[in-house]
Amino acid sequence: MSDQWRNRLMLAVALLLAAIYLFPLYWMYVTALKTGSAMFATPPKFLPSEPQWGIYSFVWESRNMGRYLWNSLVIALGAVSLIAVLGVGCAYVLARYRNAWVDVGLFLILMLQVLPASLMVTPIFVGFSQFGLLETPRFAVILAIAAKNMPFFVVLVRATFMSVPMELEEAALVDGNSRIGAFFNIALPLARNGILVSAILIFMQAFGEFVYSKSMIQAVELQPASVGLNTFMGPNTNEWNNIMAYATIYVTPVLAVFVLLQRRIVSGLTSGALK
Amino acid sequence: MKKIIFSVTDGRGFDIGLVLLPLAFLFVLSGLPLVYNVVMSFQEVDMFSLGSFVRPFVGFKNYVDLFAQPETQPILLNTALFVSASIAGQFIIGFGLALFFWMNFPGASWLRGLFLVSWIMPGLVVGAIWNWILSGDFGVLNFFLRETGVIAGNIFWRSDPNYSLWAVIIANIWLGTSFNMILLSVGLSAIPKDLYEAAELDGATALQRFFTITLPMMRSTIGAIIALGLIFTLQQFDLFAGITSGGPNNSSNVTQYWAWDLSFRQYDFAKGATISVIMIVLVMLASVVYVRSTRHEVRG
Repeated sequence: MSDQWRNRLMLAVALLLAAIYLFPLYWMYVTALKTGSAMFATPPKFLPSEPQWGIYSFVWESRNMGRYLWNSLVIALGAVSLIAVLGVGCAYVLARYRNAWVDVGLFLILMLQVLPASLMVTPIFVGFSQFGLLETPRFAVILAIAAKNMPFFVVLVRATFMSVPMELEEAALVDGNSRIGAFFNIALPLARNGILVSAILIFMQAFGEFVYSKSMIQAVELQPASVGLNTFMGPNTNEWNNIMAYATIYVTPVLAVFVLLQRRIVSGLTSGALK
Repeated sequence: MKKIIFSVTDGRGFDIGLVLLPLAFLFVLSGLPLVYNVVMSFQEVDMFSLGSFVRPFVGFKNYVDLFAQPETQPILLNTALFVSASIAGQFIIGFGLALFFWMNFPGASWLRGLFLVSWIMPGLVVGAIWNWILSGDFGVLNFFLRETGVIAGNIFWRSDPNYSLWAVIIANIWLGTSFNMILLSVGLSAIPKDLYEAAELDGATALQRFFTITLPMMRSTIGAIIALGLIFTLQQFDLFAGITSGGPNNSSNVTQYWAWDLSFRQYDFAKGATISVIMIVLVMLASVVYVRSTRHEVRG
């Protein structure tokens, strides 16, 4: 069967390409397990000879990672909740109407989506400090992230609502449901999966957010894991195995969620980004 | 009063409320800072006047000062190089990979999706990994390049001013390639298959089919992806913080990092705001291109 051989060959090449592309990730996992001297060996070892499994608990303790990750979680969950509560309704309305106002709204939202965080942080920081919001720095960062990421969420969820047929809601209205009832009982449950995938995407971005947290959170005990990683990497560091262990602990949960939900995340992302 | 309540629970008021609340939120937290940014770029802002709303206006002084600084021109050139090299690299590699995975074989779509981990990871972690890979004496990239005979001696990617910007560009190409590839794959799968069948019957070679069918059919997708690439590249901040911090001696500094550096390292908020204004105008121009090239899809 020549078709079968062709498929096998293609798969082999594809696996090779993926292996090359994902090598940096592999290098992170391998470096974390190396001893201090194995790390600087020439030629470098591609399999650790004596894996140091204890490094994870060592880095977790010494860098106080529990606290950093907790702060990341608080910030990411806060931002996602705020975005979801405000964004779902907005996406719904923008999906249900077709007129000039909706076009204007969509255009404004797309424009806000593209503002770079590192450029917006200057006015946001000065404004927040004037209104005393920096007294509660994590909340300030949640607000900033919500403003930055909500447009993207609205665009993604709008694509989901567009695929929910309007006739179902009209039927519910005929049956005596109110507008609120039709929205909560019909439209929202049908769009649940799309909303969830978009929320996970936003969560991942907020979980790794750096600029706002670095600029607005001065107190170490409130900083998220991204800022912690940044302070760990001094200019002349040679603790690369510890840093890679830190990075491993930080990204492995994110990667696990992504690999599990890969198909849904990819299709949700592509439906929004090009529409 | 009753009418209003009825409208909110069961009429257009419900829809208007749903859309006005988030728009008000965005106006306060994105729109107002945008305006405030422009105002600050015309003011004199220092550590003492940071907390007050009344600051002296200085006209275009910040802009004039900014362009009189010796580092401004090199940083603008760095930004242009960073953006064009990143977009070119991401797009060409991404297109190649998309074309390869477009040939159907079992497992293609799953493997293709796996590439996206580079895009999903926190930017600072990507920066840390590449910082280590690009290290001068013990970096694994130098090892590969030496073994394959591309270079004779180690390149000090992060500390050599000739290479420091390229260190960030390499990391950024890796980060963005997968995103380009996924979006290009979507565009490729939308091309009707019978076009290729017809061309094959007429005797067109693979190369001819690529240039006469694939490229023209992908025109709007490619436009959107290049514009998106420009937007994402101008947002890239974490890699600079994670790899070179703009150094050595500004050789790898770009405007989006410089604006932050001026505000939060040198506490010159007025200058930071001034660069922000200039760059935001540029980003908005790019996004107009993006919106225009996806417009027919927005309308459905």
